[in-house]
Amino acid sequence: MVGGLRRGLWGRRGLSQATGSEAEAEAGEREARNTPDVSKPRFTDEAVQSLLYKMTGLNLEKIFRPLKQKCKPATYKTMTDAQLEEATEKAIEEAKNKLKMPPVLSEREPINDVLAEDRLLEGTETVKYVFTDLTYSTPHRERFIVVREPSGVLRKASWEERDRMIQIFFPREGRKVIPPPMFKEKNLVQVLHQDRHEDILNLCISQFEPDSADYIRVHHQIYDDIDKTAKYDLLRSTRHFGGMVWYLVNKKTTDGLLMDMIQRDLLDDATSLISLYHMVHPECQSAKEAKEQELHGVDLIKVFIKTESQKEGYIELALQAYQETLTNSEAS
Amino acid sequence: MLLLVAAHNWRARDGPFLEQLGCCDPMPNSHGEKVVGINMERLRHWLGTGACVSRPAEKLLGLAGFFPLHPMTITGAERLRKARAAEAARASEASAGPKEDAEE
Repeated sequence: MVGGLRRGLWGRRGLSQATGSEAEAEAGEREARNTPDVSKPRFTDEAVQSLLYKMTGLNLEKIFRPLKQKCKPATYKTMTDAQLEEATEKAIEEAKNKLKMPPVLSEREPINDVLAEDRLLEGTETVKYVFTDLTYSTPHRERFIVVREPSGVLRKASWEERDRMIQIFFPREGRKVIPPPMFKEKNLVQVLHQDRHEDILNLCISQFEPDSADYIRVHHQIYDDIDKTAKYDLLRSTRHFGGMVWYLVNKKTTDGLLMDMIQRDLLDDATSLISLYHMVHPECQSAKEAKEQELHGVDLIKVFIKTESQKEGYIELALQAYQETLTNSEAS
Repeated sequence: MLLLVAAHNWRARDGPFLEQLGCCDPMPNSHGEKVVGINMERLRHWLGTGACVSRPAEKLLGLAGFFPLHPMTITGAERLRKARAAEAARASEASAGPKEDAEE
């Protein structure tokens, strides 16, 4: 699933240049964690991805809402019922493509590699030189970018320098050489006030690499803001919903999301959220109870609320209200 | 913009060349760095076919770490250091001289 994302999202060139990027980053991650905990579920597991995809929802109206495009006269087609069904199926396929989740990786390790120390050059230059290898066929992750400091030290370039140089020589659409000041913490608050979480998440994905510190910081800040103000619906039916749920589940702050789901009568989503929580934290009490008693549906939610959540009272009330409306609608 | 270029020996400096191998911006950018890009694959190809390297190109590649440091780079650094030391010595003598005169 994430493989198909590469071709569509990162552009055709990405096949040679950025192909290595995700696979290498993941491999590096696995090596860094020397402990062989195969049991811990990752973001890219099939089970995890299917749960997150179910929770994202498929609101075609929202996915295909009119984007700011060049003004063209509208095209009208007349179709039979069968053709209309085909067209909706095609639309659903395209929607699934648009909902492919962007990668979630851990932060990259800083580069501190010194290649040569030529202290006798000290004092000749006042400015550092940044040398970039411009071979077209090397993947960007393997490109040699070295810096000769005025002190004469020849070192490998840091991640920020690397990103800047690669953007200068191999420019990518939607990415600027110097990241816009919009991504600073204080300025992000302004943007989030205007409820434009999805737009700035898209901008962040096109500007930063998935394992850079800025990408992770911006994403976490936006998810925290959504959690604080309970604006979960802004991201539902977008490709960022999965990432947000993964972050909240890992941080164990799923109460707000659970409440929102119950209030919108999305019980299936609530149960999948809880099963995801049990997958990621199998040692917690509600997970053990659920396994013993093999709970499903409303019972699962009740056990989860009692053991794990902080806002027990609120969620229980919401659940009761939901059940009452259910019995009322069944009775009438 | 300075260009690192594969060209015939008898051509003018800025005249037509065979292939551009890289570029160097002599003005530091807003982050205080001089940006240099070198197409290593094509450079290795030309060196493999027996191209000679001009002195400034050798110095640049020496700074990059692809070649060992050029001896003139080291000599230039030493000369600069000696010149600066001599100037500092002269400046201290000059300031010591008037002070002695003043004390007397």
